[in-house]
Amino acid sequence: MNVRRSLAIAGLLLLVVGTYMGLFVAPPERHMGEVQRIMYVHVPSAWNAMLLYTFAFGFAIASLWSGKPEWDDRLVGAVEVAVVLNALLLVQGSIWGRATWGVWWDWDVRLTTSLVMLLLFAGVLTLRRMASAERRAQWSAVATIVAFVDVPLVYYCVRWWRSLHQIQSSPETVDPAMVIPLRLNAIGILLLGVAWLMARAAIEKARRRRDEAPLPSRVIVKETAHA
Amino acid sequence: MPEGVIVGGWSYVIAAYSITAIVLVAYAWSIHRRGRDERGKRGRHE
Repeated sequence: MNVRRSLAIAGLLLLVVGTYMGLFVAPPERHMGEVQRIMYVHVPSAWNAMLLYTFAFGFAIASLWSGKPEWDDRLVGAVEVAVVLNALLLVQGSIWGRATWGVWWDWDVRLTTSLVMLLLFAGVLTLRRMASAERRAQWSAVATIVAFVDVPLVYYCVRWWRSLHQIQSSPETVDPAMVIPLRLNAIGILLLGVAWLMARAAIEKARRRRDEAPLPSRVIVKETAHA
Repeated sequence: MPEGVIVGGWSYVIAAYSITAIVLVAYAWSIHRRGRDERGKRGRHE
């Protein structure tokens, strides 16, 4: 069995067990009651989105430093998976916000910086489509480094400024029955995310090789005949 | 700290988990489909 498939299966298993525990084993929270169970998917999505953006930042530096196209393949994989998780965390957060704050959305600093993070990295993916093949890797790397400025801002903004969003909890302040499903889901999504990153990088590599390869002789013959 | 507890709320929990499952499955399917298409194109190209 290849590494990608093993990671995906292990990630899925952890996610299934973590979700079961989050929904049916963990106790309801003192003030939020059952609604707090959204945390077991919301927080792992947020952690892994930011972690994958950090991977993308590392790949961007490696891409600029070495000029090797493999780093760009990994960069697009990391950014794409992180954008999916980023969109997901905003939707989950919106549902949680409606249940606890009474609104679907608020221009709070954590929510706003998270939305900006999504738009910036979606912009990186859009830029790749517009850039020429020769410039694509360079533009993507620079845009990723610029977009990454927002990531630490998302993490620390709740400590630096007043926010509706709560600050980060620690295992010391959370019931162990809540920590276990949270960690299982976080590791599960991480393993799935890495498997998807690898799969997406492999697709990008195949596309690049196809674009770089000379046209097959039959196509050239056909085009010559039309001319 | 405000007193009281939110009563009910399962509908929000179910909505959040359902959307999460749908998005993750859809993305996994998208990756699988794009990989399969790319392998097909490479086969035709060679």
